[in-house]
Amino acid sequence: MIIEALIAYTFVAALATFLAPDERAGQVAFLLSLVPVVGSLYMWGQYDATGNALLGGDLAFETTIEWLRVAGYTLSWHVGVDGISMPLIVLTTVLTTLSIVSAWTPITDRASQFYGLMLFMEANLLGVFTALDFFLWFVFWEAVLVPMYFLIGVWGGPRRKYAAIKFFVYTNVASLVMFIGFIALVFGLGDSVSSLSLPEIAQALRQEGTLGQFGALTPEALRAVAFAAMFFGFGVKVPIVPVHTWLPDAHVEAPTPVSVMLAGVLLKMGTYALLRFNFTMLPDVAQTYAVPIAAIAVISVIYGAFLAMAQQDLKRIVAYSSVSSMGYVILGLIAYTEYGVGGATFQMVAHGLISGLLFMTVGVIYNATHTRMVGDMSGLADRMPITSGILVAGAFGYMGLPLMAGFAAEFFIFVGSFESAVLPFAPVFTAAAMFGIVIVAGYFLFAMQRTLFGPFRLETDYEITSAPVHDTLPLAVLLLCIIALGVAPELFFGMITDAVTPILNAGGGF
Amino acid sequence: MAGAFDYTPAIVLLPFLSFLLALGVGRSMPKGGALAGIAATGGSLLLSVWAMLAVANGGTYNQTIYTWAAGTGNSFELTFGLLVDPLAAMMLVIVSLIAFLVHVFSLGYMNDEGETGLPRYYAGLGLFTASMLGFVVANNLLMAFMFFELVGLCSWLLIGFWFREEAPPSAAKKAFLVTRFGDYFFLVGVVAVFATFGTAAFAGEGSFPALAEAALAGEAATEINTFGFAPQTWFTVVGLLVLGGVVGKSAQFPLHTWLPDAMEGPTPVSALIHAATMVAAGVYLVARMYGFYALSPTALGIIAFVGGFTALFAATMGVVKREIKQVLAYSTISQYGYMMLALGAGGYIAATFHLMTHAFFKALLFLGAGSVIIAMHHNENMWDMGGLKERMPVTYWTFLAGSLALAGIFPFSGFWSKDEVLYEALAHGLGGTPLLLAAWAMGLLAVFFTGFYTFRMVFLTFHGEPRTDVARDPHGVGWNVKAPLTVLGVLAVVAGFVNMVPVAKLTGAHIEFLHDWLAHGLGGLTSEHYGELTGQFAGYETGYVGSELTTVLLSGALSLGLALAGAGLAYKLYNVPAPVEHTDRLGSVKTLLFNNYYQDEYQVWLADTAARNVARGADKFDQGVIDGVVNGISSVSLFSGSRVRRIQTGVVSNYAALLTLGLVALLLGIGLMGGWFL
Repeated sequence: MIIEALIAYTFVAALATFLAPDERAGQVAFLLSLVPVVGSLYMWGQYDATGNALLGGDLAFETTIEWLRVAGYTLSWHVGVDGISMPLIVLTTVLTTLSIVSAWTPITDRASQFYGLMLFMEANLLGVFTALDFFLWFVFWEAVLVPMYFLIGVWGGPRRKYAAIKFFVYTNVASLVMFIGFIALVFGLGDSVSSLSLPEIAQALRQEGTLGQFGALTPEALRAVAFAAMFFGFGVKVPIVPVHTWLPDAHVEAPTPVSVMLAGVLLKMGTYALLRFNFTMLPDVAQTYAVPIAAIAVISVIYGAFLAMAQQDLKRIVAYSSVSSMGYVILGLIAYTEYGVGGATFQMVAHGLISGLLFMTVGVIYNATHTRMVGDMSGLADRMPITSGILVAGAFGYMGLPLMAGFAAEFFIFVGSFESAVLPFAPVFTAAAMFGIVIVAGYFLFAMQRTLFGPFRLETDYEITSAPVHDTLPLAVLLLCIIALGVAPELFFGMITDAVTPILNAGGGF
Repeated sequence: MAGAFDYTPAIVLLPFLSFLLALGVGRSMPKGGALAGIAATGGSLLLSVWAMLAVANGGTYNQTIYTWAAGTGNSFELTFGLLVDPLAAMMLVIVSLIAFLVHVFSLGYMNDEGETGLPRYYAGLGLFTASMLGFVVANNLLMAFMFFELVGLCSWLLIGFWFREEAPPSAAKKAFLVTRFGDYFFLVGVVAVFATFGTAAFAGEGSFPALAEAALAGEAATEINTFGFAPQTWFTVVGLLVLGGVVGKSAQFPLHTWLPDAMEGPTPVSALIHAATMVAAGVYLVARMYGFYALSPTALGIIAFVGGFTALFAATMGVVKREIKQVLAYSTISQYGYMMLALGAGGYIAATFHLMTHAFFKALLFLGAGSVIIAMHHNENMWDMGGLKERMPVTYWTFLAGSLALAGIFPFSGFWSKDEVLYEALAHGLGGTPLLLAAWAMGLLAVFFTGFYTFRMVFLTFHGEPRTDVARDPHGVGWNVKAPLTVLGVLAVVAGFVNMVPVAKLTGAHIEFLHDWLAHGLGGLTSEHYGELTGQFAGYETGYVGSELTTVLLSGALSLGLALAGAGLAYKLYNVPAPVEHTDRLGSVKTLLFNNYYQDEYQVWLADTAARNVARGADKFDQGVIDGVVNGISSVSLFSGSRVRRIQTGVVSNYAALLTLGLVALLLGIGLMGGWFL
């Protein structure tokens, strides 16, 4: 019952924060958000399952309560955790709390509503990563968009309305396409399934002969069309090239804490759903189209990295880097190897932490300097040594420095995709994608050299000093998490590989 | 003595601890963390010596100590482990000794000069030492790669130590980027090793060199995946990929360009980078996995050729430089070229030997240059020096010892090791691998240039009349500068005596201690085994001019003669009271050399201009085309929305008319479809 308790608690906490006075809302939200952190860490400590949430084996903290029947399909409250969702739950709670602290300095207006929305979003995110019934899952999935829309649209920068609407419409259209694709599959399954339970549907889809004719579509065509629809739908969220252009706009306009959540957790909804739906349910289609999917992955990595290189705004640099990093996730998924898919899952967590760290650090710099443009300043390390040191650490983390989480994730993905038996020319695709590590080093080093080093130069009418402790502390916590996961990836990787193995094994039937 | 290996992890952890201390509480520590660093590296040195003694008594150690990623058993594990064999033990002593001396020297170079940011400096040194020591004891390629990268990070931190100026951060960035470019290939190679063999262990029955050897011999016990290539072709590809990292870190052509710029870092850091850590890491890696390279004649040939070419190429550039550290920088590139030449030519012992002697004399020369730089109030231009001989005798005599070793003058250490390198290349070249003869010829020619630029540097710095006021009255240096110089000065003289091959051949005395040292150890990692491999798979055989003895003597006489000729020319031109820039006579060649053959220009163009243009193009495409389409779709829907809105007039009679029209249209449609009108 811990999942229900956590989700329900977080909704109540959100409500309580809405009602709190503005000047206390930050502290209230922070204290309230500690409970989910403790709860998720407790779950992690207690976690002893080895199964895959969709394909069987034992799950942790699973509950199923039948809810209602619609058109012959049972809808249930069905939640549970496996080795893929467990790390993402910890990521969600930890990042939410840290983002709340990082909001103390920049968010001064309508604070109680801001923090309330953050907690409301957290509750829905927890739902997304635990729900195992399609209806339930879809409600949470869509509900995440609402607080995000307001968080960008109300507290964002000068072009916040454009960015918020673009984000909302883009991802909503994508959700619609995905929804149609998935429901078509469910109808195609006909009598083979009697509920919208994701495990039931996934297992039915992985068997031969369960899928019938749907409209004018043969079973094979239906699989392919549904795969494409869902790939597009989730791909927007990831985002993959070429449906990525909402991301930089949203990031640039969003306030720092919201960027952290957007890059750290919301993007992972896309990759998580791709793994759960496309790559778990329709492995045959994925493997048939392995070459184009890998090509999209490689293009996302390289093109995203070059886009990042062209930017002058530190936040846009980090934003485009996310496009690049998410390309690695796709490459890992299509490999269908333990290290590939496991590494992709690990990368979701690693990138969540590292991009969160970078967005927060850029935010701290912005709080002090009121600019994010590379050309506007230099020699910042002289005035803000600790923040600069953390930015250096975060940037090297992003570049894949060993003993930090990003290296572990990327190395797993590279090893996994190089040896992939599914992907033709796997070594070539892998080597091409790996060149991303050179480009990313290039632009991060250039950006750091310009902003942090050289003689100090920035025109302000006040003295720039070190950031306050409550700005720096979340950065330090994130950095420690990144190093811990880099030194001991087994903290998560063991449970991830347990959960990933069934996806690979049962896929042999296709 | 088995206990020594239980403390091997501490060799790595002690400097790491000093890093943590300096980073955390360095401000409140005595000397900004220097003493902690000295204690830590001193401890590492003692433990390394203990480990070396244990190895000398026949012990070796190869243990996995930590599972980084376990997998589920269907796939391979990724682990950390320690490998202490004669090669690693020797390297441990070299690295910890030089790190220790560099720490002591830094007291004089950094603390006494009133530097700020000392905790950051000593934290960097500690991490640098720890990373290198971790790299040395790594028992598999992945762990080696990880520490190799950390070494790169530390070089970035330390080269850019003076971050408030413009040039050091730029040089740091260049060093990291160029080596990262090499490391990209290395990482692909590591991944390929795992995908091919399912392991990256260096030593043991199931190690990847052993598996590769078994596969080539047709006795493969386990299936290995060579991705559709013939095994030897694939092994060559993998070996060359890993070599990318080596070429980057060991500053071989064409990735040598970062190293001269790296002189922007504090001079003790240069000593550490050049003698014992970063640059040595590349060559050490080839030696570490020599059992794998020995299987591929193509890879060996490329290593030898790149090495020989780099040795000559860098030596020519060293001839015209004005700054003392620049000359040393090019000499480093050149000397590592010799080591690569030796490795490629099947001279595993020769390469290791030169790695050792070079570590001592190059650390000595850098620290000596550091001492000169302190004396000259941080002016590095040799044309502003002159006549320092009388004013700083300890520095002069030790620097001279190092220079004689670098130039390869009998009986200093560099002579013995360089001679063995050239001998190996010559003998194997004569034995039926003519490519090696070309590499040998380049290496031999470089000896002349080495002699010349080395003594040009010595004479310009120390001899003649002082050319500036500062040189007339130099700043004094303390014990913390002189002591490390003395230790290294002695080593630069005597280190060569451990392996005097020509003397052994002449007298028959058994004095080739390094040969004996490297011939024992773990099975499959001995110099004898490597000799068999190069013979069997690369077809390396030894050929002689006349007899073995004549070849040995001829080779030694040739290289000594050329070195003396170079030094003699320098003596004639520069050992005068008021020398002039004789290199001006080279005309446009000098400009070419001074600009490093314009290697930097095209690399900067590639990394900066070209990459930026691609980036800008991508950005334009993204904003214009991709986002343009997205905005276009939204404009179309907004536009059609605004048009459709016009029919919403709010007038009831209009709606009624539309309703009627719609109903009629619907009925007509249904009627037509249903065939009512037929």
